[in-house]
Amino acid sequence: MKYKDYYRILGVERSASEENIKKAYRKLARKYHPDVSKEKDAEEKFKEVSEAYEVLKDADKRKAYDTMGFYQPGQEFRPPPDWEQQFRGAGTQDTEDLDLFELLSGLGLGRGGFRAGGAGGGLRMPGQDYEVTAHLGVEDVARGTELEIPMAVSEVTGNGQLRRTTKTVKVRIPKGATQGQRLRVPGKGGAGHGGAPDGDLYVNIELRPHDLFRVSGHDLYLELPVAPWEAALGAEAQIPTLDGRVSVKVPAGSRAGQKLRVRGKGLPRPGGGEGDLYAVLQIVTPSVLSEREKELYRELQQASSFNPRGHFG
Amino acid sequence: MSPHRYEQALLTEQVEVALEELVQASGLMPQEIVELVEYGVFQPVHGSAEAASMSTWRFSARTITLGRRARRLKADFDLNASGLALALTYLERIEELEAELERLRCQMLG
Repeated sequence: MKYKDYYRILGVERSASEENIKKAYRKLARKYHPDVSKEKDAEEKFKEVSEAYEVLKDADKRKAYDTMGFYQPGQEFRPPPDWEQQFRGAGTQDTEDLDLFELLSGLGLGRGGFRAGGAGGGLRMPGQDYEVTAHLGVEDVARGTELEIPMAVSEVTGNGQLRRTTKTVKVRIPKGATQGQRLRVPGKGGAGHGGAPDGDLYVNIELRPHDLFRVSGHDLYLELPVAPWEAALGAEAQIPTLDGRVSVKVPAGSRAGQKLRVRGKGLPRPGGGEGDLYAVLQIVTPSVLSEREKELYRELQQASSFNPRGHFG
Repeated sequence: MSPHRYEQALLTEQVEVALEELVQASGLMPQEIVELVEYGVFQPVHGSAEAASMSTWRFSARTITLGRRARRLKADFDLNASGLALALTYLERIEELEAELERLRCQMLG
């Protein structure tokens, strides 16, 4: 089992009072809480911090933790021989494949670790909810897709022991999903015990960046490069969409940044219908001009009375 | 393994859930949900927001996401109802602004 230094995680002395532990936790919670923090790895850090607090705020768990001895963070260790006797009672499972926190959380749920439901009644405990992030392509959410999500979970076995295992859950992402949405899959979380319901699975949907399209809600944006003469004179342009090319009309006298809307060519919406595709005009000039092109531009310059900065006065 | 009565759903405005499902999914107590409705943080989709008609309340499924966030914030920061309402309102506002920022970014050239 790998040692974790809960005191160091909270930044408190080993002799810290309950009050100081609470204060340290609050400060770190505010900094790393995934609902409010934009810090990198906030979720990971918050998990560490709340795990440390979970153990140190509870006098019994803190005592059990302290009695294990002190090691370097990450160091492999085993609790002293009499530790098991003192805190868990005889006949408990080997602690080797357990995580330190799982071992400590198991305390206080009755001697012998967790009690599974069914056999002998036992504790009624709803299954844990799981939360995972699915990284999907824009095409995937446009069509709807199926995913197999592997998850590392802790499971309570029939004889009440905690075991780590990998579980694969199949999930259908329906058409209509987009960036930042959540899918709730009832009953696909951890198993419930003592007749309590299974937990739920929450899938956070994150879209992978697309080579061409940017996504805002159910609308798609595409940068449409046009030549200066196309912007001036108007043009017909073929543009890609998620289902093949369509032709759009660039009106004469177009400006950079102008949006051309192609109705219904965005992502499907969950309630039916589709978002739109916007082609955003960008006027590009050739980086190398031929002599002839330069000549024509100069001629245009001579002939034109257009002053783009007229409003500067 | 008890059978689940609820269906898989995207937690969006288009899907509706009853109070019971919101309670189950968020882990909030019905009374806490009533308070958040009173503060206007949660809004029943049709009908009255009066607590007397709570048995008929329906919420958009997105409220489940807000409810789970509310439960986490409450537990992790020891917030009371008004503090919680304030925090949720600000977070909503930040999300709206982020969505707007994202929409503007999509239109930027370059």
